[in-house]
Amino acid sequence: MLLRTRIAVTFFLLVAAVLAAALAVVSAANRHNAQREVGRQLDVGARVFLRALETNREQLTQAAQAVAADYAFKEAVALRDTDTLASALQNAGARLGAAVEVLTTLHGRVLAASGTNIKPGMPFPLARLLRPGGMQDGNSAILVADGRIYQLVAVQVRSPLPVAWVVMGFALDTKAARELAAPTALALTLSVRSGSVWTTPITTLPRGAARSGEMVTRSITLVKRPQLEVVATLSRSLTDALAPFERLTRVLFLIAGASLVGSAFAAFWLARNITRPLRQLTDAVDHIRGGAYDVPVSVHRRDELGVLAEGLQVMQRAVSTRDQAIRRLAYDDPLTGLMNRTAFVEALTTALAAAPAGPVAVALINLHRFRRINEHLGFAVGDAVLVTIAARLTAPPAAGAAVARLNADQFALFTRLPPGADTTAWGLALQSRLAEPAVVHAQPLDVHATIGLAAAPADAAAAEDLMRCADLALEYARREKRALASYLPTLTPPARDQLSLLGELRRALDADELRLYFQPKWEIASRRVAAAEVLLRWQHPARGLLGPGVFLPFAEQTGFIRQITRWTLDQAAAQGARWQNAGTPLPLAINVTVDDLADASFHLSVARALERHGLDPALLTLEVTESGFIDDPKQALRMLKALAALGVKLSIDDFGTGYSSLSHLAHMPVDEVKIDRSFVQQFEADPEFAAVVRSTIDMGHRLGLRVVAEGIETESAAVLLGRMHCDLGQGYLLAKPMPLTEFESWLRGRARVAPAVRTGTVVAPTGGRQRANKGFPA
Amino acid sequence: MNPRRSVHAALVSAAVAVAALLSGGRCARATAVTVQVKSGTGAPAVDAVVLFEPRDRTPPPAHADAIIDQIHKRFSPHVTVIRTGTSVTFPNSDRIRHQVYSFSPAKVFSMKLYAGSPKKAVVFDKPGLVVLGCNIHDTMLAFVLVVNTPYFAKVPASGSASFDLPPGRYSMRVWDEALGTPVPARPVVVAAAPLQLSIALDLAGAHDPVAAWP
Repeated sequence: MLLRTRIAVTFFLLVAAVLAAALAVVSAANRHNAQREVGRQLDVGARVFLRALETNREQLTQAAQAVAADYAFKEAVALRDTDTLASALQNAGARLGAAVEVLTTLHGRVLAASGTNIKPGMPFPLARLLRPGGMQDGNSAILVADGRIYQLVAVQVRSPLPVAWVVMGFALDTKAARELAAPTALALTLSVRSGSVWTTPITTLPRGAARSGEMVTRSITLVKRPQLEVVATLSRSLTDALAPFERLTRVLFLIAGASLVGSAFAAFWLARNITRPLRQLTDAVDHIRGGAYDVPVSVHRRDELGVLAEGLQVMQRAVSTRDQAIRRLAYDDPLTGLMNRTAFVEALTTALAAAPAGPVAVALINLHRFRRINEHLGFAVGDAVLVTIAARLTAPPAAGAAVARLNADQFALFTRLPPGADTTAWGLALQSRLAEPAVVHAQPLDVHATIGLAAAPADAAAAEDLMRCADLALEYARREKRALASYLPTLTPPARDQLSLLGELRRALDADELRLYFQPKWEIASRRVAAAEVLLRWQHPARGLLGPGVFLPFAEQTGFIRQITRWTLDQAAAQGARWQNAGTPLPLAINVTVDDLADASFHLSVARALERHGLDPALLTLEVTESGFIDDPKQALRMLKALAALGVKLSIDDFGTGYSSLSHLAHMPVDEVKIDRSFVQQFEADPEFAAVVRSTIDMGHRLGLRVVAEGIETESAAVLLGRMHCDLGQGYLLAKPMPLTEFESWLRGRARVAPAVRTGTVVAPTGGRQRANKGFPA
Repeated sequence: MNPRRSVHAALVSAAVAVAALLSGGRCARATAVTVQVKSGTGAPAVDAVVLFEPRDRTPPPAHADAIIDQIHKRFSPHVTVIRTGTSVTFPNSDRIRHQVYSFSPAKVFSMKLYAGSPKKAVVFDKPGLVVLGCNIHDTMLAFVLVVNTPYFAKVPASGSASFDLPPGRYSMRVWDEALGTPVPARPVVVAAAPLQLSIALDLAGAHDPVAAWP
């Protein structure tokens, strides 16, 4: 229930209860008062009634006495002059309106009578009129004769001794009853019981009134004898008595009703007055919850609600301030002041949603060598470089563009290009902006950036998808050693494949879908086969044969690469052992990743594989990329030493692409260094590259290492490398990677360099050239 | 006892003595008879009237006078016994006027309002009980007993009425205003010897002096 309704209803019920109680009390008091009033009226009425009877008696007495005292009347009595007596009696009675006038002897024999059918000589019940033993005048009595009720008085006639009685009386009929009851305002009923029968009473009550309504009565017994009883009953209708009180109660009800309605309105008004600001406060709270801090709290009062509103406003400001601070932390990169990833994606989303005109290009920029700068020159320099790069990227502030730093050495950029503009051109412009060395503390530092490009709506429509496209392009550029790459649909493994790839890889291992491919390493001078590098292909049941670029980077990201390495190790060891046992041993090289080197038990896995297949350790070479030393150089070195102790050969793969220098190699137990294909493919045209290749070969030889050139595709390159005394070569010029059977048939009839003789002891590393000289014909 | 009443009693005694003197001339041999009259409680029935009527002869009417005074709105004496034919005067000793009337069958008369002594006397010529009243003073009441015998007496304070009766046969009658019924006449034979009689009256019942008169 709403607070407003609750307050209003409570208030209303309270008032209703008070009114009901008051009305009940008043009603009860009214009824009580009416009853008491009626009782009082009856008391008074009874006294008045008796008083009226007494007055009757006095009048009768006086009239009778007047007659009895008259000398002429006395004389008539003495003379027994009946007619005279009767007329005298009638005369006196008529004056008073009496109904009965009788003269009797002292013993009650009628002497004369008037107005009734009483005749002289009849007995008269005089004794009823006299008090026992008394002979006084004016005693009154109620007599019943012929069904009529009379009030009678007897007075003595004295001359001077009592000689007769004058009896006079009124008839108590309806008219008399009305006169008797008149001063009392009550109804009078006279009831007569003759024997045990109550005769029809004389009453002033309207017909049927006795039955309708509630009557309060007071009875006065006038005569009570065994055979006769006369009762006067005074009555009052309680309904009539209550009438004025009922009117009062009705007025009270009207007043109560009016006040109830009034209180209802007051209650609702009051409740609304309380709840309206509450609802406004609730609205304000809703605004704050929704993040709208600039909507003022519109409650201005001096009461508690006003205080609450002020508090809410203060809270709103505090929350707003903190929200801004949190927003800065959440969306900004504190070092460069650029956006962070979250803010960037939001801004990108907004930009994409804003206007469809013109493509939105996104660039992901990765700085390489940056980690080296941090390591060798300190974080302060690294930070300075980052700030410089950030400044360059934001240099011409562009509308509809944003720059963010995503992580340590990665930046992101998006901009709205004019319709039809080339994304790649924009990427190249970016690249040229970053090409300049960053100058920190007057020291120029080369910063190489790799850029991945993607554009909406061509590549993807949503911000996150666009980011992923750019990321894929960046990955591609890095893998392909290119400075810049644009997203191509072929780069995208379907999103579902990405998610299920790990599961598929597991299945591939179990279902034996991975295949070993062999690419020969050959002696450049003699063109004899010296060894082979084991490469992986995935015979995918649905997608066909997949190159390592499709699944190995993902395996590396997920750590699944370890299982793959072990599987490869085992397979290669098995194959090597088969050839070894067949008497045609061929040294095999497998690739080992950073994760493998980080695995403290990796050397034990290698030892077990050799042991299991009985392969001469000297016939196994583990190729490690330079990046393997970056994360944890000490652990990597420890592992290399442990592996070397097993007698296996170690080779530095992709030499020249990383940050390692040959001087580092001097402290490592390596046997071989492989010059990266990017050098080999360009050294013919570029003298600088040629110098790098030449110096690498010389330095390697000087350190006692065998030097392998990767990616030899032309005869001229092979000749030139031979001239530079490069020991071994690898590349399409001689052979591409081949599955086992193809490789074996390819090998057949080829001249081979004899591998080192199995001695059962660790073979010390020796120069390739010397070993090459020990070659034997296939 | 009221002193005035004793004065009147003495007057009555004087009248009796006169009567006795008148008759005594012929009958010297009279016998003393005393009658003791008591009420039911044993108290003397003062003012009760006792009379002896000779049974052998009828006494001659007397021509005597009597006075019934009116003092302080009272008749005095209250009870008067006279022989038939006696003239009674009704002097008014009060300063207010009085009226005297009687509706008794023995003597019906009425006097107009008067003051002082009226010139005319009223002659009570028939025996019987006459009740006197005053028309304007209801409380005034007097009894006049008109009798045919000279032997009567009112009972004095001592309770004993005394008579000197010639020997012979008599009927003794007793009346009192407090009686309700007549007392039966008692036959008395008077011889030479003094006679002492006694009678008890029932005065406790309803009073009806008229009915009590024989």
